[in-house]
Amino acid sequence: MSKRKAPQESLNEGITDFLVELANYEKNVNRAIHKYNAYRKAASTISKYPNKIKNGEEAKKLDGVGAKIAEKIDEFLQTGKLRKLEKIRNDDTSSSINFLTRVTGIGPAAARKFFEEGVKTLEDLKKIEHKLNHHQQIGLKYFEEFEKRIPRAEMEQMETLILGELKEIDTEYIGTICGSYRRGAASSGDIDILLTHPDYTSQTQKQPKLLHAVVEHLESVGFVTDTLSKGDTKFMGVCQLQPSDEDEEEYLHRRIDIRLIPKDQYYCGVLYFTGSDIFNKNMRTHALEKGFTLNEYTIRPVGVTGVAGEPLLVDSERDIFEYIHYKYREPKERSE
Amino acid sequence: MPEIQLKHVVSCTTEDPTHKADNLLSSDTYRKWKAARPGEKQTSVILQFEKEEQVHSIDIGNEGSAFIEVLVGNSSAVRDQDYEVLLVTSSFMSPTESRNGTNLNRVRFFGPNQLQKSTAQEKWDRVKIVCSQPYSKNIAYGVAFVKFHSPPDKNDPPPTTSPKLTKLGQFKVKEEPLSPAASLQPGSLFFSRDNATKSSTSLKVSPQNERLSYAAAALQAGGSSHSSGQASSSSSASPQPPAKRKFEFSKARQSSPGPPPSKKISPAGSPEGKAVTPKHKASPASTPSPSTAKAAPGQKSADRKRESQSKPEPKPKQPKPSVQQVPFKRMMEGVVFVLSGFQNPFRGELREKALDMGAKYRPDWTPDSTHLICAFANTPKYSQVKSAGGIIVRREWIMDCHKRKQMISYKRYLMDGAESSSESEMEGDDQSEEEINKKTPPKQERQVTPKKMPEKKTEDDEYAGSTDVDEPGDGDDESAVDTEDELQRVENESRQKKAAVGGKVVKQEDPYGGSTDENTDAEAEEDHPIPELPDFLKGKHFFLYGKFPNNERRLLLRYIVAFNGLIEDYMTEKVQFVVTSEGWHNSFEDALMENGNLNFVKPAWIYAINERQKILPYQPYSVVP
Repeated sequence: MSKRKAPQESLNEGITDFLVELANYEKNVNRAIHKYNAYRKAASTISKYPNKIKNGEEAKKLDGVGAKIAEKIDEFLQTGKLRKLEKIRNDDTSSSINFLTRVTGIGPAAARKFFEEGVKTLEDLKKIEHKLNHHQQIGLKYFEEFEKRIPRAEMEQMETLILGELKEIDTEYIGTICGSYRRGAASSGDIDILLTHPDYTSQTQKQPKLLHAVVEHLESVGFVTDTLSKGDTKFMGVCQLQPSDEDEEEYLHRRIDIRLIPKDQYYCGVLYFTGSDIFNKNMRTHALEKGFTLNEYTIRPVGVTGVAGEPLLVDSERDIFEYIHYKYREPKERSE
Repeated sequence: MPEIQLKHVVSCTTEDPTHKADNLLSSDTYRKWKAARPGEKQTSVILQFEKEEQVHSIDIGNEGSAFIEVLVGNSSAVRDQDYEVLLVTSSFMSPTESRNGTNLNRVRFFGPNQLQKSTAQEKWDRVKIVCSQPYSKNIAYGVAFVKFHSPPDKNDPPPTTSPKLTKLGQFKVKEEPLSPAASLQPGSLFFSRDNATKSSTSLKVSPQNERLSYAAAALQAGGSSHSSGQASSSSSASPQPPAKRKFEFSKARQSSPGPPPSKKISPAGSPEGKAVTPKHKASPASTPSPSTAKAAPGQKSADRKRESQSKPEPKPKQPKPSVQQVPFKRMMEGVVFVLSGFQNPFRGELREKALDMGAKYRPDWTPDSTHLICAFANTPKYSQVKSAGGIIVRREWIMDCHKRKQMISYKRYLMDGAESSSESEMEGDDQSEEEINKKTPPKQERQVTPKKMPEKKTEDDEYAGSTDVDEPGDGDDESAVDTEDELQRVENESRQKKAAVGGKVVKQEDPYGGSTDENTDAEAEEDHPIPELPDFLKGKHFFLYGKFPNNERRLLLRYIVAFNGLIEDYMTEKVQFVVTSEGWHNSFEDALMENGNLNFVKPAWIYAINERQKILPYQPYSVVP
């Protein structure tokens, strides 16, 4: 999933924006993941709300909106701004840390460390480039490009290219572009590919070759330009479409992740990486109610003492829904 | 890998009247346990091992469950949480299969690798099998069979190798179901007596075929295979169908290196289809480990009964060791008790003691409960059990039995002051009566029609000859005891009628209650004059169906037992008369389909017999649609 969540257009955009900003602040600066989740949940329900919210009281009726958030909504609606947010924005610490985390490879911890060393801006980072790791250097190098959203048309082009190349290597490869793109988003932050091959299951040995062959091939056709990290099962890097015409404008560099997943865990992975994260959470809650535990690898029944059972056979995303008596939802319908 | 012997079913959530949980105790794979109703969310059964064992591998044959989990615990465990997971919830049917009702009987083998390491390394004496089927509301699901194996290196040698022991085991198999706890026991007793007409026991097999179900037929096949060759040693090795196994086939195979896994391929093949063909497979008696386990008392299943009857062959050849004390641990087998009015920790202690002696515990009074141990009169349970006609005793009964390591008649501990009456005191002394019985065969004749007398003798030789001291299991003693009890009861009854006293006859409800308590150090005032008993209903099997107004049920039970009829607790094929005061019920039709010999009669028939003191034709009292 991309580092930045694209704000969805909605009637209450102002509210959801400031909630997301607060969420990121909690995550990046305070490292309070639960507050982050709370703000995100509120933002999510509000973004789906069909009417323009008039006051906090109205918003409070929505799922995930409590007294505190309602208060903030009131303040925002009445004054057009939020003191807490102003404070955060003006606060050197939080704004800098928040900013630094926008560089791929720099998380909240690294950002705080850099900040304490006096690094606050892109220029500061460039000065200490030698202290950055490879990943961070790439992040710095393509900072502006990575900040740009990827239009759906470009995503589609990349999907065609990648799936085509996969077939070139081995027809048995199965690849899926997950993330918001799969949910039908108009633009995406990055491209996230799940890859599997029938020869690779959780029972077999790891088969890094299956992944590396794909990466090497994509490099050879000039699609993958940089590598951030390459493990046995996960590749993180940078890709770029080659312009088809001479006069065509050059495409931007994009962040690309490729994950190799055992075949038997593939569909749980696809489900997980398709998201949205809030949909996932709801689905897992439902699974638990039905006596199953669901994660990005497996779905397992839970025994009477709470011990998870053996992974269930999953041959499609639909199977997972079926196991837990959950109405199947197309990827497009999972953007809650 | 020796198979771990299952002793009895501790409890189960629900069971189908024909597919009882007890079926799991036998190693015959086509007898399954199913929930009573389709669409139950979850069902579970708790089984007791013969002794503490380490579980090395498990074979499970499914019967419609989507998921099955196996937990282990100790007898002391009461709550769910006391059980630990041995085999995590495992999938046996996919949602699609569940909905379509296909592949209902998948068999899976779970080797040591699939069991939870930590739990598999310890010893346990109980297993709890939890099944669920969330995907179909139309399947009454359960388990077709389950086998537990202990680690290969230990415990196998003696029982497997020695045919003698096996036979001894078989003997016990025979004996157990006759123990007082088995509710069908009198039926089987008479049944076998009938069969005993044949001089050679092995010949019994054929006549039985006509009456016995396919299961019994299969058993006989098993039995004969046993007598012809020493099949016993190998037969325990997983006799499941290779075809059915799902994922872990190869692993399971690897993990069972010991004996060549199965000589008898796939007897369980497809339980659905092939069940009827006799299988050449391990009959319980031929399984290696001491089959005492097999035949836990407390078996209520009719199957078991058949089992016992279907292979009495080896018995005459192999008399039982003459002196065999009832082991402490099994002293109270057949006692199903309920506690009332005790508080922890004493409650726990009391329960523990009774469980130690082999009794079974129920949190609440159930139809199969036999004794209520009561702290003081007039607890809610006291009134409930009193009206249900159960036996209510003081806690000292358990305490004393435990202390003296001896089964003492409960009658001296009756709650409602029955100890005051000398009769009850005598009633309790079954053992001495029993002995008297043996010494004075004429007494037995009295209850057996003269014609049958010779068979009776045969049986005497077969069973009782060397086993006199032994527990209630023995067919003959057993019947004697029962009769004595009945005598006593009738006597009581008449006395009560005269005295017009109603309340004190609590024990009457439980026709076999008396026979549970053997080995008392009996007082010797046995020679109380015993009245003649009418035998009007001898050899007839009764089943009381539905509700009866005003304690009528108890009365009926009393009459039937007094007239030497046999009460079946469940609707089995032995039943000839269904007594009901509710009129025709739709299910009767189904029952008739199964058993054409059924007669549905009104209670009035029994009363009429009592009034006229002679057997009357039942036809005027038939219940018709």
